[in-house]
Amino acid sequence: MKKFMFVALASGALAIAGAKGAEPAASPAVPNPAASAADVEALRQQVQSLTELVQTLQKQVKEQQAASEKNNSNPPVLPQSPEPEIAAAAPSPSPAASAPPLFPTTDNAVVTNAPPPVNANGTLFPTTDASVTSTVSSTDTGSSLTQPITLTGGGNKNYMNISFDGMFALATSSERHLDRLEVGDHDPQQRGFSGRNAEIALDGAVDPYFEGFANIVLKLDNNNSTQIELEEAFMQTTSLPYGLQVKGGQFFDAFGRVNPTHPHTWEFADSPLVNGRLLGPDGLRGVGAQISWTVPVPWYSQVIFAVKNGRGGTAFSFRNPGDTGFFYGRMTIDREASALRDLLFVPRIENSFNLSDTQTILVGASGAFGSNDTGPNTHTQIYGADLLYKWKSPRAEGGFPFVKWQTEAMYRRFEAGRGLDDTFPVAEIFRDWGFYSQVLWGFKKGWVAGVRGDYLHMDHSLFTDDDMRQTRSRISVNLTWYPTEFSKLRLQYNHDFLEENAFLASRDVDSVFFQFEFILGAHGAHKF
Amino acid sequence: MKKSLLILSVICATAFAAQAKLNVVATLPDFGSVAREIGGDKVDVTVMAKPTEDPHFVDARPSFVVQLRTADVLIDGGAELELGWLPPLLQNARNPKIEIGKPGRVQASQGIRLMNVPTNVTRAAGDVHALGNPHFMADPIIAKAVAQHIAQSYSAIDAANAAFYDANYKKFEATINAKLQEWGAALLPFKSQTIVAYHDSWPYFGHRFGLNIDIFLEPKPGIPPSPSHLVEVIAQMKAKNVKAIIVEPYHDRKIAEKAASATGAKVVAFSQFPGGIPDTETYVKLIDKLVASLAAALK
Repeated sequence: MKKFMFVALASGALAIAGAKGAEPAASPAVPNPAASAADVEALRQQVQSLTELVQTLQKQVKEQQAASEKNNSNPPVLPQSPEPEIAAAAPSPSPAASAPPLFPTTDNAVVTNAPPPVNANGTLFPTTDASVTSTVSSTDTGSSLTQPITLTGGGNKNYMNISFDGMFALATSSERHLDRLEVGDHDPQQRGFSGRNAEIALDGAVDPYFEGFANIVLKLDNNNSTQIELEEAFMQTTSLPYGLQVKGGQFFDAFGRVNPTHPHTWEFADSPLVNGRLLGPDGLRGVGAQISWTVPVPWYSQVIFAVKNGRGGTAFSFRNPGDTGFFYGRMTIDREASALRDLLFVPRIENSFNLSDTQTILVGASGAFGSNDTGPNTHTQIYGADLLYKWKSPRAEGGFPFVKWQTEAMYRRFEAGRGLDDTFPVAEIFRDWGFYSQVLWGFKKGWVAGVRGDYLHMDHSLFTDDDMRQTRSRISVNLTWYPTEFSKLRLQYNHDFLEENAFLASRDVDSVFFQFEFILGAHGAHKF
Repeated sequence: MKKSLLILSVICATAFAAQAKLNVVATLPDFGSVAREIGGDKVDVTVMAKPTEDPHFVDARPSFVVQLRTADVLIDGGAELELGWLPPLLQNARNPKIEIGKPGRVQASQGIRLMNVPTNVTRAAGDVHALGNPHFMADPIIAKAVAQHIAQSYSAIDAANAAFYDANYKKFEATINAKLQEWGAALLPFKSQTIVAYHDSWPYFGHRFGLNIDIFLEPKPGIPPSPSHLVEVIAQMKAKNVKAIIVEPYHDRKIAEKAASATGAKVVAFSQFPGGIPDTETYVKLIDKLVASLAAALK
């Protein structure tokens, strides 16, 4: 079939050549029988160009044949030289109306297995088993990470994506005990170097019904010994109807904007005060299950509801016995769940609207409800609200320039009981609240400047004196350079305003952090 | 109560409207243009990326989730160009109709032999796509194959209008075939000339029309031009008598102008996407404009 086509093309071209050849030979013969030298010269040139044309066409046919044979037997390779296809268009088209196209309009070297022509029923659409045999990308079906590591070279033939992220910081501070000042477990925790977050992330499609994700964090403590955290490990459905999705395992709770994300995606070198003190130094995460539903309305709206055990240090304000058996000064009751209300419930709703082609806002409200360990029947409620505004240039290169404003506020009602066997003198109710607000300005490709304000109000108590319960505020500025999306260098300055207290030496603290990070392998796609 | 009834009826109305026409979402404007040509008034096409922005880094705006959730057809490149933003959107959209392998999913690169497939992937070489160069729509012959793929997808989902889609495809094919004669002739005088591009987006265009678009202002894909690299490029440009530098809307034109003024070359505004530069609303008009402005610069 292909061969036939080339032959037809070639003979068509020859026909034109013939017509052109005949024309000049006949026309000068009538008015002027004695051909001048110039006429002969013109004729010679024309004949020569026609000969060249025929040669090129022959060459082209040969090459095309060779190429198509090669295509049939060999793996796809593009011809190195693009010449042959172009050569054919040389002479200006003759007036003959039926002239076949001279510029090639097909190219089997680039379109490999073009689908067969469709018939009226459309039944020839390749619906057979493309999902099994497709070489295009069978592993990235809805997966959240990109480009897997390939051990054997090009291609996308792994069952899972693997990545490693190493994040380190160099810190200096006017406060000797940086670990008392910084509220997040992955924040810089000592003067000098810290390696608080090196993580291995795995993800991929489990089968046609589920996808899986695991995130294992290796953390160097201040004495440089390695600690391991199973930060996340969960499976989630991929093909439930009605916009539903169910997730199960160990995972970060969808509370606000910072809590569900991994530290290396944060825009500052440390956690906001309100996150560290109300949700906990490790964020709110744990074992449980979650269902989410994208609401069928004309704007983006999602409802999320999770049920968790809510126990241990990663459920900081809930059934958390505390590191030393004490929490907020009370000896804790490390108790089993005795009723449904001892579990942790985390609902969230988020909505997003486009203000214009370049501006988007996202507003969310979250809650976390459960029991705590300071009494036999004490409870905690946390409410949160968050707002994200983003502008991105319509001519963005690499995602820059942009402006992003993000704010989160939280309120916590904490029923502090009298501890184990009523050993603490009083029961109290703490009403704590706080917020942060940050603006990031990506002013040039790879460069982001940021400023953040933090405020945390902890209910004052005459009875409870705990370094975790200090009202405080902070202002931070930073500059981040992303040489590529796989590496990051960040310089940050913090100024902390503290209450007078026994835990920290001074009331104003200045700190400077230099953070550096690298990513190997898959890189998480950017969520909004 | 009245309000909720109203909302309900609005939802129903939009549902019916969606049934009347195929709801098509295209990740990039070039796919969108072809999707409109084939679908005519039987489809509603929404495009995610703006024609003027860098297609590698599009914000995964939540409104895209809404579009994907109700899509009958999704057209994406399938060659990792949208990998930085499409996966989380699809994860949130939860629409089985547009899963890979379903007739509602057109991965444009399927059946296309991609150029410059790296034999060894290392990020030391910059932002290299493991599957090959994904900017394949700049070759009109490839665009025809993608158009056919799209027509087949439409026909499989909306069998009643299969003949209509097929006719539109044939029309598109005929237009491209005729136009290729024009384009080929216009660029023929410049065969084998070297052209500088900001980013390696044009190997398919170069291959089709016999141009060598193989010197780049970026030292490596995705890495911003450095002064030392620019010196090198200018020397190469002088040696090869380069007359044109191709710049896309989101690139830093000043850098190209610096190289141009040092060599006497012209800066040519190019776009991979219809609408990225003026008077290029459709795919055919875009290639028209690219060919015309390049030919003018090379003269």
